[in-house]
Amino acid sequence: MEIIKTENLKKTYKDNGVPVNALRGINLIINKGEHVVIAGPSGSGKTTLLNLLGALDKPTEGRIFFKGEDFSLKTKKELSDFRLRNLGFVFQAYNLIPVLSATENIEFSLMLLGIPEKERRAKSLKLLEELEIADLAYKRPGEMSGGQQQRVAVARAIVNNPKLVLADEPTANLDSKTGALLLDLMDKMNVEKNITFIFSSHDQLVIERAKRLLLLKDGLINDQNN
Amino acid sequence: MLFKLAWRNIWRNKRRSFIVFISVIVGVNAMLFMDGMSNGMLSQILFNEISLNVSHIQIHKNGFTDNKMVQNYIPDYENVEKIIITNKSIRYYSKRIVTFGLLSSAANSTGIYLNGIEPEKKQNVSRIKSSIIEGKYLSGNSGEIVIGKKLAEKLQVELGDKVVALANTSDGSIGSDVFRIVGIYKSPSSEFDKSYVYIPITNAQTMLNLQNKIHEFAIITNNYNSANIIRDKLRETLSGSYEVLSYEDLLPFVIIQLDMYKESLFVINLIISLALIFGIINSMLMSVFERIREIGVLMSIGMRNGKIFLMILIEAFTIGTAGTIIGVISGYLINIPFSTFGINLSVFAQSLESFAVGAILYPKLSVENFVMILLMIPLISILGALYPAYKAIKLEPVYAIRYI
Repeated sequence: MEIIKTENLKKTYKDNGVPVNALRGINLIINKGEHVVIAGPSGSGKTTLLNLLGALDKPTEGRIFFKGEDFSLKTKKELSDFRLRNLGFVFQAYNLIPVLSATENIEFSLMLLGIPEKERRAKSLKLLEELEIADLAYKRPGEMSGGQQQRVAVARAIVNNPKLVLADEPTANLDSKTGALLLDLMDKMNVEKNITFIFSSHDQLVIERAKRLLLLKDGLINDQNN
Repeated sequence: MLFKLAWRNIWRNKRRSFIVFISVIVGVNAMLFMDGMSNGMLSQILFNEISLNVSHIQIHKNGFTDNKMVQNYIPDYENVEKIIITNKSIRYYSKRIVTFGLLSSAANSTGIYLNGIEPEKKQNVSRIKSSIIEGKYLSGNSGEIVIGKKLAEKLQVELGDKVVALANTSDGSIGSDVFRIVGIYKSPSSEFDKSYVYIPITNAQTMLNLQNKIHEFAIITNNYNSANIIRDKLRETLSGSYEVLSYEDLLPFVIIQLDMYKESLFVINLIISLALIFGIINSMLMSVFERIREIGVLMSIGMRNGKIFLMILIEAFTIGTAGTIIGVISGYLINIPFSTFGINLSVFAQSLESFAVGAILYPKLSVENFVMILLMIPLISILGALYPAYKAIKLEPVYAIRYI
C-alpha cells in the first residue's frame, strides 16, 4: 500500500542571494512497512527531502501525497495536526525536551492528542519496557547518555503509532556499538509494528541495513533497488 | 502538562527568573507603600477634621452654613434633641454655640471661632480634651476658656492669664466677657490651634444674648461609613427648617482629595506596572531565543501555534502571579509595624501641621489597591509575554530545529 508519493518534487532556496537547487525533480513512491534509507554525500539534499516528506517544509515545485492526500492543500494548522497523528521524528541531536523526564517526553504527543494522563502514562511506561529502558523513566535527558537519549527519542517517535517515522542521521552522534543497538531497535519496530521508516544518512552502518536504498546526488534520486 | 512545562521552563535560568521575580515583588511593595503613605495621610486628615470639630453629622438651622450669624439658632431644638436621642444609630451628641469673634490679650488680639460647648458631652464628640497639653479641660464653671497652643503664642498668654472675647450678639450689639485660660491644647492642625477656642455653653449663651438657644448639634454615629445614610434619615424626619450635613458635606475639599487620590492610584500603579513590563518582555524574549530549537521540535511533533503561544503566556503569568502574591503578602507584613507604630516625620512637622497631619504618619492600605494589584500585575505579565510569544510562533520549524 502506497504511503508516500512525490511528483516532480523540487526545492530551491537562496544562499546569500544565490539560488541553490537542492532537489531537481524527485519522483518517489514509498509503501507501507518499508525500511528506506536515503543516502548521499553531505549537501546532497537528504535533509531537505526528509523535511519535505515530513511536512516541515513546502516544495518550490511538485507535489507530495500521503495516502493519496496532497500536502499542498493543507493549511499550517492542518499540517501540524497531520504530523501529530501520522508522523514520528528522530533527529540527529535527539532534541528531547530537557526539563521533562523520559516518560514525559514520550507521552508529550499523546498529551497533544488529548489522551488522559493515566492512559498515556501507562502507554509510555510500557514502551519504555519494550525498548528495555524502563530504568530511565523518571530521568531527565541531562542524566542520560547519547544512546539512551536516542532510544527515548525513538520511543517518542513511535508512541502515537505513526504511519511513518522519519529519522535524520539518527546515529551521527553515537558510537558504532550504540548506533547498531539503536538500529536493531528501529528494525524491530519496523517489523513488529509495521511502521514505515525513512532514514537519511551517510553512515555505512545505516546504509548496510537498508532494505531499500535511494541514492541522492545532484538533487536527483537513484533507486538502488530498481 | 503545559503548566508543568511552563513552570519548569521558568527555572531553567534560575538567575534570570529570580531577577524578574524580585522586580515584581519590589514593584508591588512600592505600590503598596505609596498607597499606604498617601491613603494614611488623607485618612489622617479626614480623621483629624472629624475628631477635632466636624464630627460625623451636624444639624443647624437651614442656611446656617452659608450664613453663620448669631441669630440663626436652631428653632425648637428640644424637638430635634428628642429625635436624636431616639435614634439608635447615634452614639453621642452635643449642643454647641458657634460664632466668629475676637479674642484679646494684653499683648495682642486676633479673630477666632468661639465655641460654646457642653464639656461633658463635647468630650465624646471631639478630642479636644485629650489634646490638652497644659492645664485642664473645661469643668463647666463660668469664666473658663481653653485655647490652642499657637493662639496662646500669638496672644503671648499662658495658663491662668485673662483674655477678653468679643462677638456680635443676637440683638445686633457687641457682647463681651472675660475668661481665664484653664487649658491649652495642641492639635495636629496649626491652623485649627490658631482659631478655635472653647468656653462653657452657658457663658456663650449669656454673652451672645441667646438665652437657651443653640446653633448646632454635633453627632457621632456608631459607624462613620453610614453617616450619609443616617443623615438622609434625619433629613426625612426633620422639616425643611433644618440642614443636616454629614462630614462629607462639611469637608468637600478633603473628600475631593480622597476621590482624586483613588483615581490617581490607578495611574501610579499603571506607571510602575509599565516599568515592570519591560523587564518581563526582555526576560521572555531571552527565554524564547534560548529555546528556538526546542520550539521547532515541539512544532515538528505536532504542537500547534496556539499551544506554544499559550505555554509562553503561562510562563509569564506564573512569574507575575507568584511575584504578586509574595509581594502583596510581604508588603502587608512590612506595613504592619509602620501602621502600628507610625513613621516619624517630625522633620516635616511644621509643614504637615498646616495640612492637619500629625508628625507621626500611620500608613493605611486600602482593599481596593490590593485587588487592583492582584489583577493588574498578572495581566501586565501576560501583556509582556505577547510579543515574545508572537515571535515564537512565527518560527519556521524547518529552520528552528537546526538553530544552534
